[in-house]
Amino acid sequence: MSKNRENRVQFLELIAAKIRRNVLDICMQRGGYAGQGVALAEIAACLYFDELRPDENQWFYDRFVMSNGHDAIMSYGALAVHGSYSIEELRTYNADGTKIDQSPIEGQLGFEITAGSLGQGPSQAAGIAYGERLKASDKRIYCLFSDGEIQEGNVWEAAMFAGHQKLSNLVYIIDNNNLGATGSTQEILGVEPVPEKFEAFGFAARRINGNSVEEVLEAFEEAKQTSNKPYAMVCDTRLFEGISCLQSALPTAHYVAVDDADWQAGLDEINQRISDLTAQACN
Amino acid sequence: MLLTGERSLDSAPFDEISFDLCSHRRDVIIMSADLSKYTQIVRVKEELPDQHLDVGMAEQNLISVAAGISKAGFVPVATTFACYATRRAYDQMIICMGTSPRTNIVIGFMPGIANPARIHHQAAEDLGMVRAIPNATVIDPMDVTDFKQALDAAVDIPGLTYIRGHRGATPRILDPDRFHFELGKTYQLRQGSGVGIITTGLASQWGLESSDLLEQRGTSHSLLHVPTIKPVNEDEIAEFCFAHEQIVTIENHQIVTGLGSLVSEIVSSIGGGPRITRLGLPNSWAPGGTLGYIRGQLGLDADSLAKTIEGVLQ
Repeated sequence: MSKNRENRVQFLELIAAKIRRNVLDICMQRGGYAGQGVALAEIAACLYFDELRPDENQWFYDRFVMSNGHDAIMSYGALAVHGSYSIEELRTYNADGTKIDQSPIEGQLGFEITAGSLGQGPSQAAGIAYGERLKASDKRIYCLFSDGEIQEGNVWEAAMFAGHQKLSNLVYIIDNNNLGATGSTQEILGVEPVPEKFEAFGFAARRINGNSVEEVLEAFEEAKQTSNKPYAMVCDTRLFEGISCLQSALPTAHYVAVDDADWQAGLDEINQRISDLTAQACN
Repeated sequence: MLLTGERSLDSAPFDEISFDLCSHRRDVIIMSADLSKYTQIVRVKEELPDQHLDVGMAEQNLISVAAGISKAGFVPVATTFACYATRRAYDQMIICMGTSPRTNIVIGFMPGIANPARIHHQAAEDLGMVRAIPNATVIDPMDVTDFKQALDAAVDIPGLTYIRGHRGATPRILDPDRFHFELGKTYQLRQGSGVGIITTGLASQWGLESSDLLEQRGTSHSLLHVPTIKPVNEDEIAEFCFAHEQIVTIENHQIVTGLGSLVSEIVSSIGGGPRITRLGLPNSWAPGGTLGYIRGQLGLDADSLAKTIEGVLQ
């Protein structure tokens, strides 16, 4: 690996660690989708801090559609590192009367669509991609959704449309964590083989380790090199990946409300990780 | 006088309406779910292909892709049959369009008993469904004139607008030189006393037919056409209702949740007022077949309507 590449990976790993810390900080107030937010940290770091091009207003030129609602916690964690939300306001997540929705409505800073009714993000992202291409814009459109979500038929209508229209400006990011609302996706209604299914719908697709910065960067690069097809990066992840004490305590927790000691143990672990990565970056 | 002197028939109203709109609004995209031919979208598809998009037989995708297209700065007009637009894709209509400030238009063709295929194609609850969405706009035009004018207005209305569409031989009843569609406005087509008839959409045609019979028989009445179901000018409806002894509403829709319910809600919120008789589809499935047959079976043919209206005055 070149020095530049190594530095870039180290930088994004540090960002991912900070995102994890923010996710815990936010969710330890009143519970939340901490496991998903933690597990998606590398994807969020690579997306927000490497892949999405900035515009002239310190915002993002490319467009990101978060589909399933609860992954908003990932965006909050990342946008706090970005500086567009303060951690103080994000700590009102899940409080009565807060503007920090667990599942945001279209127009909230950082959220292109009203998320949370599963299966509707991929279509809307495809519509945005179609419209941007019609305008001859070079914007790229990214849409995050989950493996449980792809049990929804609307996802496959969207995939058929995106493949038919050859929307090469569209990248689907599938959080393939083998977890639905009540248990294992594979046990409830199997979705595998996910990459092959998207390939059959006209996508270029690749399965990656969603917690490897290097693999996420490589997939984003491959997506940009792909012409005449949309791209699906199928990211295998595990809940709470990156914070081992919470992962062993809560391996299948779709929604998390735990006691203070567990949160503190998780925070201690991630703070140590941030210290280690910061020291590594300084050496 | 808002009515034309001589009624003409337009055999393919939406072809011309959509082409005219797209010719002067290049940001409009006419979308279909493999029904362009059956909703009579021809010229846009052939002559303005960049403004036509077919997503195939996938109505949930039609609505959600349309919402995405609006987020890229275009004005989507998603067209399909009313049954698919509302029943099949209601969640998408609410979430993708209903919560968005961007202009999103859905046209549901052949609503209610305008469709011959019983039950599965006869969306007789669509007005009520969309009316229940906060901030949505709902329009049920009666002929070619207000269909065109309503769509021309809708492209500048923020949020979700649902319009019931006409296809096939459609009369021009309203004089385009004198009728000017305004969102929420009601239009008095006949003025009299005694019974006040309130109608919307295709049923405004039925209302006029029965009005002609009532005039011949010397039964005084008024007729109010209400193209906008939401947001409606409630004062105009209240004023009309309280000026009559009896009110009869007629709609190509279930008698719950649509026009009759709207009028009842307005009058009951004031208190007192006339008795309201709601005519339309009752709490049972309508038969299939030709429109004339179905109307006859449901007591919605001109003669039956006139008799019912005369009956309420007894």
